[in-house]
Amino acid sequence: MAEKIGVYIDESSVAPLLSAEELVAFVKAKCAGACPIVKSHKRLSSPDGVAMIKADVESGEIDAVMLAGTSPRVDWEVFDFGDKVIVDRVNLREFVTLSYKNPDGSAPVAGQPVPRELTSMVQDYLRMGVVKLQKMAKPNPEIPETNKTILVLGGGWTGINAALAAAGAGYSVVLVEKEAALGGKAANLYKTFPLAYPYLEATDTGIDRLIGLVAGNSKITVKLSTTLKLLAGAPGLYEATLVTGGKEETLPIGSVVLAAGWQPMDGEALAAYGYGTLKNVVTSAEFEAMVKAGAIKRPSDGKAPKTVAFIVDVTKAMEAKPAAVAEEAPAEAAKPAEAKEGEEAGPVFTPIKTPKHLAYSSELTSLVALKQANYVREKLDDAVAMIIYDNMMVPGINERYYRAAQDNPGVMLTKGTVTGVAEEGISLVVSAKDTLLGGDISLAADLVVVPTGIVPATALDPTINLLYRQGPAFPDLQLFDGFADSNYICFPYETRRTGVYAAGCVRQPMTMAQAKEDAAGAALKAIQCIESASRGVAVHPRSGDLSYPVFNFVRCTQCKRCTEECPFGALDDDEKGTPKPNPTRCRRCGTCMGACPERVISFDNYNVDMIGSQIRECEIPPKIEDGGPRVFILACENDAYPALDMAALRGKKWSPYVRIIPVRCLGSVNAIWVADAMSKGVDGVMMLGCKYGDDYQCHFVKGSEICNRRKENIAESLKRLGVEPERVEQYQVAIDEYDKIPDMIDQFMDMVLKIGPNPFKGY
Amino acid sequence: MANEQRIKPDLQFVKDVQAAGGEAVKKCYQCATCSVACPLAPPETPFPRKEMVWAQWGLKDRFEGDIDIWLCHNCQTCSDLCPRGARPGDLISAIRNITYRDLVTPSIIGDWMSSPKHLPKLIAIPAVLFLLIWLITTGFKLPQGEIVFSKLYPGDYTIDPIFILVASFVAFTFFKGVTKLWKSFGKSTPSTLQIGGKTKKPTLIESLKAVIVDEIGTHSKFNDCGNDNTERYKGHLSLFYGFVALAIVTGVVAVSHWGGKIITFIAPLGHTPMPLWSPVKLLANVGAVALIYGLTMLTRRRINVDPAKSTSSYYDWYLLGVIWAVGLTGLGAEIFRLAGVPSLAYPTYYLHLISVFMLFAYLPWSKLGHLVYRTTALVYAHQAGRLPLKREEEKTFLV
Repeated sequence: MAEKIGVYIDESSVAPLLSAEELVAFVKAKCAGACPIVKSHKRLSSPDGVAMIKADVESGEIDAVMLAGTSPRVDWEVFDFGDKVIVDRVNLREFVTLSYKNPDGSAPVAGQPVPRELTSMVQDYLRMGVVKLQKMAKPNPEIPETNKTILVLGGGWTGINAALAAAGAGYSVVLVEKEAALGGKAANLYKTFPLAYPYLEATDTGIDRLIGLVAGNSKITVKLSTTLKLLAGAPGLYEATLVTGGKEETLPIGSVVLAAGWQPMDGEALAAYGYGTLKNVVTSAEFEAMVKAGAIKRPSDGKAPKTVAFIVDVTKAMEAKPAAVAEEAPAEAAKPAEAKEGEEAGPVFTPIKTPKHLAYSSELTSLVALKQANYVREKLDDAVAMIIYDNMMVPGINERYYRAAQDNPGVMLTKGTVTGVAEEGISLVVSAKDTLLGGDISLAADLVVVPTGIVPATALDPTINLLYRQGPAFPDLQLFDGFADSNYICFPYETRRTGVYAAGCVRQPMTMAQAKEDAAGAALKAIQCIESASRGVAVHPRSGDLSYPVFNFVRCTQCKRCTEECPFGALDDDEKGTPKPNPTRCRRCGTCMGACPERVISFDNYNVDMIGSQIRECEIPPKIEDGGPRVFILACENDAYPALDMAALRGKKWSPYVRIIPVRCLGSVNAIWVADAMSKGVDGVMMLGCKYGDDYQCHFVKGSEICNRRKENIAESLKRLGVEPERVEQYQVAIDEYDKIPDMIDQFMDMVLKIGPNPFKGY
Repeated sequence: MANEQRIKPDLQFVKDVQAAGGEAVKKCYQCATCSVACPLAPPETPFPRKEMVWAQWGLKDRFEGDIDIWLCHNCQTCSDLCPRGARPGDLISAIRNITYRDLVTPSIIGDWMSSPKHLPKLIAIPAVLFLLIWLITTGFKLPQGEIVFSKLYPGDYTIDPIFILVASFVAFTFFKGVTKLWKSFGKSTPSTLQIGGKTKKPTLIESLKAVIVDEIGTHSKFNDCGNDNTERYKGHLSLFYGFVALAIVTGVVAVSHWGGKIITFIAPLGHTPMPLWSPVKLLANVGAVALIYGLTMLTRRRINVDPAKSTSSYYDWYLLGVIWAVGLTGLGAEIFRLAGVPSLAYPTYYLHLISVFMLFAYLPWSKLGHLVYRTTALVYAHQAGRLPLKREEEKTFLV
């Protein structure tokens, strides 16, 4: 807890509307006991300003620094005063000076008497800043003794590249492959799309060379015919139980790269193209195997085909979807019911099967068709390859490969929707509509190749077999149809389980060139995870955050809300339901803190009391007519807060009656804050957070969604108290929507003014 | 499906097209820039876009009766604008070249005309023939006295019978070709439905007249396309009228010579060698100069053209080369004759005969065949009402 706060006011941030001297005088008068030093400076971030603060810190007179000036999003690297003091910022520039407008909408004029609302606002923020520091302590995490070995799951192209990348960075690697040899799917390929300039011809995959590099690398231990039975513990502290031929062994592991790859989709959806009934219809995977084996042959009679048709368009297979789903639906419906009966058995893993896997694979389908059309040209004299596509998806540099294939006289390409494949004598006839000729066409072909859908390993099996309270698999993968994704726009390798980083086709269908980069990226994340765990800090997205949730178990009622709501499965529990924290799994979002009705969970520098005290520190005018209403904005630090900053920097103004309080995530918002605010007579609370739902943008996946659920409960409680539930509202804001935020605030204010003052005002 | 068209890709045809000048055809990705630019493209059958996809897929039969190939002026706007350098203009030339090769028998001449490796044979035929005559008439010696070419090649017994035979052969061949082409157009060209005022189908004579007067005679459509075609227009027009002049001269000489045997007073009109003041001789010289001027323009254009936009095939160079040979040897023979140098005049005349033979005897299989085939197509189009789109606005292209 900070007891001796040095308060520094940045003149350049408050001028010309406000006088820094007056603000200094105000803090001195109001908080003299807590703040032995109160100073102002022309520009705090200048070398002179920083030197001034440093001198005070070194004198030992203060244990905390409060900087009232610019947004905490700028100059944070300038205000580094070492471990001895806590530093916090009060955003007067963006949230007061730049965004202030008078209640009538006019702009304040410098030199004129300071408007009452402006004075009230800046004084509130200063008092809130001081009380916030008073409730803050320096986090002091326990530093665990970590394992540094990286477990790579899957010995295919991606896994091997990840292992080599991690070993290259100096880390020990255990490379686990369930088959008897390394290489995975790449070992079955005749060639792959071009990996290097000029990107015109398919090339050898080079997998044999990589397998050789793995064998010769002393840092990499290869475990063949091995599966991961159990992954217990937490990042930096994992115990992986591996099974090799019935024999179990347990290894200490730091973090995991998941490169478990994919399986070809079963043929059901391809029945639309005669696959399964017509002998000479094969999948691209089967065709690849045929070429790898040496020769292109028609399965029916073993003769070389003269014409080979490649189907890239999958419209018909996708249309066949309703029937397939109808079959599966009852099975899915039955499963949850079973689960309810045997609740103790824990979550049930349901494999995800969908024709959508075919659509997701479209980029590869296009490229594979081009590649295999070239096989036809390479292996058979005067044979023609025909490709029927709806969309030829060849992003990026692969456009060059596409062009090269187009230039081949024996490769015929047409846009079209394939309507069917039928037998006609010994050959097949592919019918298509909406083609480049403008009409319906049919093509005779000796062999028809249909695409291969990529089904990620995680759609069929938990794969990572975690010993977590929330179950062995990644949660909510239905959202991604089984791909080990977590929709992190900016963090591709992240999964919902800290310490496990996905790469390659288990994450998203991709080319080998992309998978190689993916492998390196995931390996770096795995290393970052181990290093962060070793220093007791968060990995992501609050990289480097020293704080961690602290549990006051005395008051815990074992309600399990925290263990259930944690989006990352960070908390296990004992038989009684007492939560067991795993700090290295934790991402410090505070969702558990927001969940806890007993306020058991806190962070040293972020807790229920800290925000509650800030709310209480604001002066609420007893009458709305005299001093105006008051509204709190709880703003998510990740998107909403930067959006507010940007709005202010771009000259947007908003109501002078709002007070903005940053929160780590809306998931950390505890209902008690709203109750505190309402009982104090605040007229409304706006919660600004990220988009939620299937296309969520929440940096902690579930935070804004959980907040929205809790809001419903808050609304119920407010109704019972006779307070209008509209006074508490949640808004979804993206970081680039700065232009919308001022209108949101003003509309909310209009609504508040319309329904009138909070009935609790003045009590 | 009722309207389903069976597609049978023919790899050999794709290779043929590429060899005949359309090597870039596979680059087309059907963006339709060419059809938008081309004033000839009818809305329902985008031209030359559809030709591009047919050629890419090796749909040989589609080109049978494709009249659009012959209506094109080869202005190169499509090739200029093509974003992928697929050179649609070159494809059209390539398809025409394949038609020259395959349309009429004996196909051996078509084959020989399609590649420079057969050129020696084509030269050898007239070279041997005229050498033989030289041997018979003078025993391979230069005649004495005034230079008169008929001393070497007496018109009545050598030149005229040979060229009358050649002309008959060519005429018969063209008759076969035109008939075949006309029938094929019938299969695939719809007669246009006229909306509004009823129009009478023009007679064949009317159509022929319209085509010759409005189009061929004036080259009026040459500059209707997007690109600036002035150089080609001037070159092609003077070459055309050069030929017309020389054809008139040949006609006058032939008619007066053979007709003079019956109506004796016209005989001197065509008696060769003519004095320089003779209007016929004047016309011949004007024609020769026009020929050389046209050739210069057309050759210069082909040499300077950006190879990324358009290339010249063997068919193009064969024709230009032969006409150059005809023109230069013709003028050369005249100049050496007037200068009185028999050792140069007679051999040059010999070469002139070879080149004239090469120009005419192989005409139906050469690029010059378009003289007849394109005219046929234009007449057919006029009859069927297949007209180029009216220009709604000035087309401007920013390249």
